[in-house]
Order: sequence, then structure tokens, then C-alpha cells
Amino acid sequence: MSALRVRGRCWKVGDNIPTDAIVATANLFKPYEEMARHVLASVHPEFVLGVKPGDVLVAGRHFACSSGRAVAPKALRATGIGVVVAESFARTFYRNAHEIGLPILECPGITEQVREGDELDVDVEAGLVRNLTLGQTIQAVPPPPFLRGMLKAGGLHAYLELHGGEFVS
Amino acid sequence: MAPGDVVVAEVDTVIFHDLSLYLTGRTFEQEVKGQRILHPERVVIVFDHFFAPATEEGARILQANREFARRHGLPHLFDSGTGNCHYTAIQHGFIRPGAVVVGSDSHTPVHGGLGAFATGIGNNSIAALTLPYGTAWFRVPPTIKLLLQGSLARGVTARDVAQYLVGRLGEDWAGYKAIEYAGDLLPRLDVEERLLFPLMCIDMDAKAGYIEPDEAVAAYIRQRTAQSFELVRNDPDAVYESVQTFDVEEVEPQVACPPTVGHVKPVTAVAGEPIQYAEVGGTPGGRLGDLRRLARVLDGRRVHPDVRLQVVPVTREVFRQALDEGIIAVLHDAGANIFPASSGSNQSTNMGALTAGQAMISTHTRNFPGRNGSPEARIFLASTYTVAASALKGRIADPREFLE
Repeated sequence: MSALRVRGRCWKVGDNIPTDAIVATANLFKPYEEMARHVLASVHPEFVLGVKPGDVLVAGRHFACSSGRAVAPKALRATGIGVVVAESFARTFYRNAHEIGLPILECPGITEQVREGDELDVDVEAGLVRNLTLGQTIQAVPPPPFLRGMLKAGGLHAYLELHGGEFVS
Repeated sequence: MAPGDVVVAEVDTVIFHDLSLYLTGRTFEQEVKGQRILHPERVVIVFDHFFAPATEEGARILQANREFARRHGLPHLFDSGTGNCHYTAIQHGFIRPGAVVVGSDSHTPVHGGLGAFATGIGNNSIAALTLPYGTAWFRVPPTIKLLLQGSLARGVTARDVAQYLVGRLGEDWAGYKAIEYAGDLLPRLDVEERLLFPLMCIDMDAKAGYIEPDEAVAAYIRQRTAQSFELVRNDPDAVYESVQTFDVEEVEPQVACPPTVGHVKPVTAVAGEPIQYAEVGGTPGGRLGDLRRLARVLDGRRVHPDVRLQVVPVTREVFRQALDEGIIAVLHDAGANIFPASSGSNQSTNMGALTAGQAMISTHTRNFPGRNGSPEARIFLASTYTVAASALKGRIADPREFLE
């Protein structure tokens, strides 16, 4: 099961962050704990030094473009990040994150409404981001029911095990 | 079936390269606890990143892959030196019109240029569903139709047009959508040139790119497989989210500049940038047509002394044909270094690392900082003609002066 309600500190990165910046090819075959120590290091060096379990990563448009490797969301999860909220996601990452059970939320306008360090409360199922520091609520795009089911199960494999190898609508 | 519906489809071909097989194989055995691969004969494995590992890690990955293939009875393993994964799959007849093709290489949509539905899906998708059940899930995308009209100007190739579209439309323009390419430009291009459009649809974040297959595609496929196939035709009542027309006559040679693939400029705007490496290779380069174009520019000339020109044929068959045509001799005499059929400097897994301050221009697909060594190195992406002209001049150069 994935935690679909997350409360933590906001970390911010910009638009078009490639998966190469999440996990460089040189780190692709290292253990996740080691991979996690380099996540986003080239674009936000403080992130891996300060991130705490349950924190919220907020990104701009087209987050995690480039390679379609599922290692990218797995390495993000290994940092302790509870949820990624972005203006939009590259489609391969959007798919991979749900399949590995990492909660993510598409939220147009988010980068304008939260600051690095703000305390955020994210309800993935309801598609709501609450900025506790500023006292504002931002409406996001909740995942469609099929992907919500996958996320709730904890990913694609867990979903298939739960439903005997079948997809249920 | 309407956009937004989720479908579970039978998969005809799964393509792995050495990196994706290692990651997916580990997921299959360790996370999914997978026992049996339902259709081993539908799995195509090509070692194209490590063509001759220079590290123990590379050797270990290839060995683990060979053992995985043996353990699970996977018959189609093309070891190092065979070629780039997509062109090897095409060359050996694994792609046909109407086929459903998946792989976790993000450039898998290239096969849409042969009338297949092809898209990149993740390691977990393949490990948990495609390998054990032979299927994949898809959310049906809305389709945009792009009509490409007109003829190409001198020195301009499909690569320039595909890159121009990325710059013009944007890197997330087609997120979660499919693009069908049509228009009177396409029948004028040979089949492999057409593939550049679905190949680079990923740079606009499309899920898939597609070109309705014609007789030229049928002939191309028949040279590579004896298997029967149907030339799939579009539904007469197909619904498009939008139809957009582009006149390609005015398109000039285009260069994608750091830091992203969408940072595209006409070559005239970046000409003069010094480069130390030039490479023709990767999924959009190193085909027979590319090597012919490269030889046309290089014939009787010498690569600039400050530049290493690297040539990576896309398959062994291309290398052999280039030998027969005398192309390899022309490239060699011009000072080019010829590498084994592979994906070349992609991600600098086996070659192509750059240090801070260096620059490379290549036919590859990605230019994000750190993709090839130092994040302070710069990577430019362009057509074979532009790479060739730049290799001669030692600076990014307009190829048109060499194509009088």
C-alpha cells in the first residue's frame, strides 16, 4: 500500500528535468541507497542533503523527461520523498511512478503557489494540495480510477497479485 | 475504443537493449518473482550500449543478461556488435505493420514509421505484465494529425524537419497523445528517413508516432521477414483531436542546442561554435543513407585536426554494405574513426565521454547536461550533413556550402 496522503516540506525544481538528472547513467546499476544520494544533485544539490521521509517534491512542466527507466521513480522513492507534485509529467515517468507505487499528482499552477520550504499537505486521491504555510488550497488533477487502483495496491505487480492477474474496471 | 479508455493488448514484440534487460530482468526475478516468460520468441535482446565493456560493471551486466536469456529460454539474443536495438529488431524482421511493439527504451515509438503501434513502457510494466502475461496496458491516447507538405530544400533532411517541429511545438506539446504524420512530404522520402518523425515524437512527449504504411513500407518489410502481415489502413472515420499543417519548404538545417532537445535553432544561428567531437550514429544516424550522405560531404576532404569524427553504423549489415560501396574507405581516408555497430556514444556507456568545456555535435537524440560525462560539456544535435560539415570545419557549420 502507498500512502496517498502526505505531509511534509516542499522542495522545488524547474521545468524539463530529465531522468538523467534524477539518476545518471553512471549510477544506474548501484544499490538504491547509493543512487538516492545523488538524486537531482546537478540541479538542486541541497535536496539530497536535507530531504526527510514524507517530504514533497514540486516540479515544473514535463518532469522526468528523457529515458523511460523505472529506476528514476524508484530512486526518488529511495530518498524518502512521499509524493511528487508537478505542473506536468513526461508520460513515461507518469506511467512508471504509478506502476512502482510512487504517488504523484499533476497540478497545473503549483509552482506559482508554493515556495521551497513551505509545509504542504497532499491528498493524492482527492487531488488536493494544501499549503499549510500560506493557508491556501490548490486543486490538482486526481489520477483516473484505474491508476488510483494501481497506486492504492502499491504498484502494478501488487495490483495484479491482488486481482489474480486481471485488470478490473 | 475511445481516448481515455484503458485497454489490455497482446504484445507482438518486446525490445530490450543491454541496460533495459538488466533492469527489467532484475525486476522480473526479484520484485515480481517471475518464473516463466509466456512468449520467449517475442523477446528481442540487443546488446547495443556495451559493445566492448571497458569496466567490470559492463562485463557483469552483459554476463547477467546472457544468463537471464539462457535461464528463461530466450532465443533472440543479438550480442555486442550486432547493431542498435531498434534497427536490429527491424533488420531481423521483428517489426511488421499492425504489430504491437513495446520496449523500455524511450525511442521505441520509431517503429510507428513501419505501421506498428509502438511505445516505451517501463521496466515494471514489462516485468509484471508483458513477460508473464504477454500483454501490456494502455490508456488510449487522443491523436493529433500533422500534415507535412512540400519538398525539402537543399541540405535539409527529415532530421531537420523533425527537430524543427520539436523546437516549434515544444517538448511537452503532445503529452499523453499520439501523433500521426501524413502529408505529401512522406511518400517522397525513403522508408528509413520517414522513421525520424515517429522516432522524435518522444521529444514532444508523444506516446506514439504513426505513419500509415504504404507499398514502400511493405517492400521494405518483405526484404526482412517471410512472415505475412496486413497493410493496416486508417479507419475512414478516424477521429483526430486536431489536424495541423506544416509547410516544410522553408525549413533550414536545424541544431538542438544545450541544455534540452527542444532548444532548436537554425544552423546559421549557431554556426562557428567550436567542437571537439562529431559523431554520426545512434538511432537517428548511422543508417546506410547517413553513411552515404557523410561520404558525399567527406569525399576527398579531411576532418579538421581539432575534431575526432566518430562513425557508428547502425547494424552490421549497414557496415557490410558500406564496405561494398567503398564508403568506409572514403570515411577512413578523410580521418574518421569507425566504431562497431552499436548505439555509439549514447549516454557514454562505452564511448563518448566529454570533459568540462568540450563540445560534441552528433546525430544522437539527447543533449541534457551530464548525458555524456561532465555536466559542463555541451552537446549539439543535428543532421548527418550538418555533423559532417562541422567535422570538416572544426566548428558548427552550415552543410549547404558542401552540397553545391
